[in-house]
Amino acid sequence: MTPVILAAAESSNPILPSVPEIIWSVISFALLVVLLAKWAYPPVKGMMQARTAKIQGDIDSAENARTEAERVLGEYREQLAEARREATRIIEEARKTAEVLRRDLLAKAEEEAADLRARNDEALAFERERVAVELRAEMAKLAVDIAERVIRTEIDRRAADALVQQFLAEIGASQS
Amino acid sequence: MQYLAINFPPISEVLNWKPIFGGGTAIAFNKVGVITLLATVITLALFWMAGRQKKLVPVGVQNFVEWSVEFIDNSIIRDAMGPEGRSWGPYLTALFFFIFIANVFEVIPFFQMPATARMAVPAPLAIAVWVTFVVLGVKKQGFRYFKDAVVPPGVPVYVLFILVPIEILSTFFVRPFALAIRLFGNMLAGHLLLLTFTVLSEALFIKSIGLIILPLPFAMLTALTGYEIFVSALQAFIFTTLTAVYLGESLHGSH
Repeated sequence: MTPVILAAAESSNPILPSVPEIIWSVISFALLVVLLAKWAYPPVKGMMQARTAKIQGDIDSAENARTEAERVLGEYREQLAEARREATRIIEEARKTAEVLRRDLLAKAEEEAADLRARNDEALAFERERVAVELRAEMAKLAVDIAERVIRTEIDRRAADALVQQFLAEIGASQS
Repeated sequence: MQYLAINFPPISEVLNWKPIFGGGTAIAFNKVGVITLLATVITLALFWMAGRQKKLVPVGVQNFVEWSVEFIDNSIIRDAMGPEGRSWGPYLTALFFFIFIANVFEVIPFFQMPATARMAVPAPLAIAVWVTFVVLGVKKQGFRYFKDAVVPPGVPVYVLFILVPIEILSTFFVRPFALAIRLFGNMLAGHLLLLTFTVLSEALFIKSIGLIILPLPFAMLTALTGYEIFVSALQAFIFTTLTAVYLGESLHGSH
């Protein structure tokens, strides 16, 4: 086992470092630190930061869009409520106007009706007066007529009675 | 009991690799060097592939790399260093990937050796971290950094006589040692554990004895292989997190 003995002779203590190995490990590590820091690490890190920035930006813009949408929605809701209030107000106003109009018309109609009734009453009274006057004149004339006729008839009936009596006596005499 | 005479190789044999070139010189290039260089090349290749795709919706390698970067950014840097720690992303990412890949070669066929199980790998990393956090602390806070680090506020003066030496020890001496030894010890132990069960399985198989108990070491080997992948990631995470914590203290002051 010659190589073993040789190796053991080179560095008998497994805990103490051997100089050539130190040299190579220092070279390796120094090379790694320098090349990584100068050349290999920055692109990776830069890309990760760019991605972080992009995601952050996306989240921010999404957040902005959401806020904007909520604002617009609120605006529309406000407008809608305003329009509803306006519509209610207009309807209420129209109802009031109609009411006023109705009362006006009613009052006017009542007034006209009263006017008409008054005029009728006047005409009726006048007519009644006229008829009464005419009737009175006619009645006077009729009374005279009737009286004249009654008197005439009274006289005629007495003559007739004498004739009747005379006739009856003639009738009785002839039969005996 | 010659059937059970298992030839367990000595520990210096399983950890010393023959040089591929430059044998005997200071730049002797062996398996550990191959693995550390591969850790660098693989990390750079992953980042190059991920950075080249530039897809808005990441898939495959890009997804994996971005997930790792995100994880290091969020779970390590932000928690331990705050927003100012962001510029340390490449350094900590390099640490994490380097350690994780060097670790995970423990279970990759034909390599099957964690480079971090050789003190030559964790020790320079720990020293680099140590230098980084001390230099950053002085740069950010001046002399106050040392005062803040070793003199906790609201402590009676007589306690400081004991506390200051302890704090000096723990902050400036124990930290790098603990970093290096934690990583080294964990990976070496895992490596030896896998080796043990491999040798055991192999011996049982070759000697064609104990076929009844053969599945047991082999099942253990399989389970441990999965476990060691987890340990590789965990140790890389711990090392990177502690580094971030130390750097965070240098940025803001420890108390």
